[in-house]
Amino acid sequence: MPLKTLKKEDAETLTLEWILHVKNYRLTLDRKLCVGCEICSLACPKEAIKLEKQPKTPEGKAQRAKVDISLEKCNFCGICDILCPYGAIKVTLNGEHALNVIEKESFPQLIRDIQVDTTKCPVNCVECEKACPLNLIKVTWLTQDGKIVEDLSAITKKERKKLKVNVNVKKEQCPCCRVCEFKCPEGVLHVRKTFYGKIRIYPEKCPEDCRDCLDVCPITGALYISEADNKVYANETFCVYCGACKVVCPVAEALELKRTKIMHTPVRSGAWNKALERLASPLEITKELKAKGSQKALGSVEKRLGWKVT
Amino acid sequence: MAEKTSQTQNQPEELCIGVFICHCGLNIAGVIDIKELVEFAKTLPNVVYVKDNRYTCADPGQEEIRKGIKEHRLNRVVVAACSPRMHEPTFRRTVSEAGLNPFLFEMANIREFSSWCHPSTPKEATEKAKELIKMAVAKARLLMPLQTIEVPVTNKALVIGGGIAGMNAALDLAEMGFKVYLLEKGESIGGHMAQLDKTFPTLDCSICIEGPKMVDVGRHPNIEIISYADLLSVSGFIGNFKVRIRKNPRYVIAENCTGCGECKDVCPIEYPNEWDMGLGVRKAISVPFDQAVPLVYTINRDYCIECYKCVDACGARQAINFDQKPEEIELEVGAIIVATGYDIYLPYDNQLYGYGKYTNVITSLEFERLILAAGPTGGKVVRASDGQKPHSVAFVQCVGSRDANKYPYCSNFCCMYTLKHVVQLKEKYKEDVEVYVFYMDMRTNFKGFEEFYQRARELGVNFIRGRVSRIFEIPETKNLIIHAEDANLGMPIEIEADMVVLASAAIPKKGTEEVARILNLTRGADGFFMESHPKLKPLDAPTDGIFLAGACQGPKDIPYSVSQGCGAASRAATVLSKPTWKIEPIIAVVDPSKCRNVTTKCGICAERCPYGAIKAEEKQPAQVITAMCHGCGTCAAECPADAITQMHFTDAQILAQLRVALEKNPEEKILAFLCNWCSYAGADLAGTSRFEYPPSIRPIRVMCSGRVDRDFVLEAFRLGAGMVLVAACHLPYDCHYISGNWKMKARMDALAPMLHKLGLSPERFRVEYVSAAEGVKFAELIREMTEQMHALGKERIKAENEKLRPILENMLKRKEKR
Repeated sequence: MPLKTLKKEDAETLTLEWILHVKNYRLTLDRKLCVGCEICSLACPKEAIKLEKQPKTPEGKAQRAKVDISLEKCNFCGICDILCPYGAIKVTLNGEHALNVIEKESFPQLIRDIQVDTTKCPVNCVECEKACPLNLIKVTWLTQDGKIVEDLSAITKKERKKLKVNVNVKKEQCPCCRVCEFKCPEGVLHVRKTFYGKIRIYPEKCPEDCRDCLDVCPITGALYISEADNKVYANETFCVYCGACKVVCPVAEALELKRTKIMHTPVRSGAWNKALERLASPLEITKELKAKGSQKALGSVEKRLGWKVT
Repeated sequence: MAEKTSQTQNQPEELCIGVFICHCGLNIAGVIDIKELVEFAKTLPNVVYVKDNRYTCADPGQEEIRKGIKEHRLNRVVVAACSPRMHEPTFRRTVSEAGLNPFLFEMANIREFSSWCHPSTPKEATEKAKELIKMAVAKARLLMPLQTIEVPVTNKALVIGGGIAGMNAALDLAEMGFKVYLLEKGESIGGHMAQLDKTFPTLDCSICIEGPKMVDVGRHPNIEIISYADLLSVSGFIGNFKVRIRKNPRYVIAENCTGCGECKDVCPIEYPNEWDMGLGVRKAISVPFDQAVPLVYTINRDYCIECYKCVDACGARQAINFDQKPEEIELEVGAIIVATGYDIYLPYDNQLYGYGKYTNVITSLEFERLILAAGPTGGKVVRASDGQKPHSVAFVQCVGSRDANKYPYCSNFCCMYTLKHVVQLKEKYKEDVEVYVFYMDMRTNFKGFEEFYQRARELGVNFIRGRVSRIFEIPETKNLIIHAEDANLGMPIEIEADMVVLASAAIPKKGTEEVARILNLTRGADGFFMESHPKLKPLDAPTDGIFLAGACQGPKDIPYSVSQGCGAASRAATVLSKPTWKIEPIIAVVDPSKCRNVTTKCGICAERCPYGAIKAEEKQPAQVITAMCHGCGTCAAECPADAITQMHFTDAQILAQLRVALEKNPEEKILAFLCNWCSYAGADLAGTSRFEYPPSIRPIRVMCSGRVDRDFVLEAFRLGAGMVLVAACHLPYDCHYISGNWKMKARMDALAPMLHKLGLSPERFRVEYVSAAEGVKFAELIREMTEQMHALGKERIKAENEKLRPILENMLKRKEKR
């Protein structure tokens, strides 16, 4: 069969496909998970991903930007899949989630450091599950013989003490906002951020009553309205620096967002250096290269930028 | 040499013309009164010496000419004998032996054009012969000495295309000791042959026989492969071409790359391999196939993510350079061989076959990649829909070929490769697979082909004669239902198959148009390059010094392509082996003082020249590139300012012939312009075949019908000609100057209605196409025109001419004033 390239789109998914005689490459974007942030479009080495701003809803609420991927440019490398904080993109080969760039150590994986000491979890407590803004946490209880308890109220108080608590986090879709950590009454949940950065909103530049950033922000509590001046402010503790807010912000200088560090598995790769440079800044990449002692790569970056890292 | 230079200057001395009249045994003397001719010739202006010979072409006859030149100080020679197509070269040599410039010689064809075609009317034949001699003398008075032009030859060659034809051409030339540049657009040489599994009818492995040849090419000290490069432009002419080439960046330094492939192993990115017809994949840094020559890896930046893992893997070899830029180079070569090959038609646009729509419909070249052990499936023939081996395969012939709506020609090798495929399938899977072949005709007309066909039949392949009308897919099984007509049964049939293989047409390579433009090559209606002559110059392009080999000229199988490659090499060697190349001096010359292009934007000559031999730059007089000019004279006829002269066929010379021809009783004469290669030869043939026709015609020879200026026609009618005929090579492709006949046609198509409007009877001005083989047609044409002329009657012709004359005089005068 001759090579077939396909692009299919419906309300919930966008699919790109290369169908070869014996191989099938497929990229699927789950629009339910996508928040319209800028990570993939910045990271894509082929500049195949574009964000399309959407009009406001009839109620006047801002809508998340829509991601579009060019079939002509996409090479199914899977970098978008790796970097998407919300796990909205999947690249598969013959139906299996296999990423050559990771296997060949051409690209790192994000580190989603989520630790739960469930031995200290009080039975009955589902605070984390309730707190997660993306509904990624599921708390279950197991009996001693490993059976899942369907109805907790049916179990006696005495029995309950013997139950094993299991906190299941859909890690690949978790942007590590730390909301659950803060809501955990016992302090047994520890989350380290994947993306570090700085976000600042200049209220004096914000249009009157503009809530666009807040409308699209997927993390409850990352942005909030100050009671003092009725303006939107950012809470760095919860912000995951995905940039969904920045994409929709109508005023150029009102919202400042910078990523400074991305937690990733160790790697030596030009593709990663470039992705990091676009996601963070040239300064950040030189810092990372210096820390790694990659003198050659550092030299070429310095040559390109025309300044010396001190 | 000193003698020659003295003749180059226009001779100040008086014209002394010698006329030599040949009896040709009884061939001429048997019909024509030679004595009368001799006496007549003596009366012609500037004729100082007349001599008749039994055989002028024999040694004593030639000696007479030499003697005459010396004794009578002749400076022009006219021989009245046979056709100039026969003995012009002989007599040119004769006069030059006597110290006369060979171009100060003219011939009157009184045998083919008179004695042989008018035997029953000797009086009229003699009269015609007299006028033919008079015409020749009139031209001879205006002849100018011309010098043969010599240009130096660069003894290097460029071969464009590294397929099996181009490789053989390059190898042969290299073996002869010439430096050869082998230009290849792709990453590796090898061409289509390197894609094939086995070759028919011997079933030997294609790459096993081609691979060593590729290595030979790669290693030969006289061959420089320039791969992954594009042809930008070619200028110059035979012996002296300047070629500009752009080497595209591979991002791998060829000198440092050892071809180890360690970079490929670490590369994470795969993309569809065009070499595998997109069936399989290759890495973003890779070679298209393992046997590639040169074995240099290439990074495809369209897919590369620049992780630089390859740079690490390459290590100390340091062969990878992401900063590589395209590089332009210029070569100088003496000859060019074009071997750009063909493409396979992908029948996406033909709904009948469902190609691209139904998963299990593939082309033969895709099948080739499937059955090849080194292919993407490791040689397993499997269906794309389920990865299973098909139990029945249908082969459909003539997909696109022999199709009036697509490609009307036969693609030459499809019958044979399908036979190869069915034999391979049958031998591989035996009873496990049922094979059907739908064909129109099985063309197995070379060595061992028919025997191979028998072998396929004996293996139990079902051959069904008939065209496929439609293919449908069964959605559940993805099997295919083939609707066809069985011509032997005379009824429609339906067959279900697991897989369908389409033998699709071979079509001109993508970019053929561009190559044609750069090299000024012509293409046939099928889009393939045209050879200079289909029989006698099958390897020559119309442009001197450029030769064709392989499938770029039309679909060809491997042995045919190899033979053509070797043939083109030997043709090119005829140029390369000489230190200089001689060019006929019958060329066009521009008078810069008359050229309009200096003041206005004209450039008509440059646009009409079939060879692109004229340059007309803004505010500059047009310039003829001498070595590229073939001397058809089209430009001279087209020039609105009469600034161009075609040497040896000048306006003055032709008009002198014309005026003399129409001196007596013009309204009873047909004035004919005959192109040298077809119509003049056709008229010669009418003579040699002794087809008798009325002696009313007065022919004027031109090299190409493109030379026939409209003023010639106007002048002929002004002088009262009964009829005017312009005869040319047949359209569309017979012209020996590519398209001179087309240019003539356009010119005359515009002229004819104007003449009709002015009151000229339409039959009095004719444009006809007569080939060198159409002696009968020529005789019939003259008979018919003479009858028409008689039917119109002398009075009517005279009356028409009276009416026309003042207008024509006005038109011609206006022109003269300019």
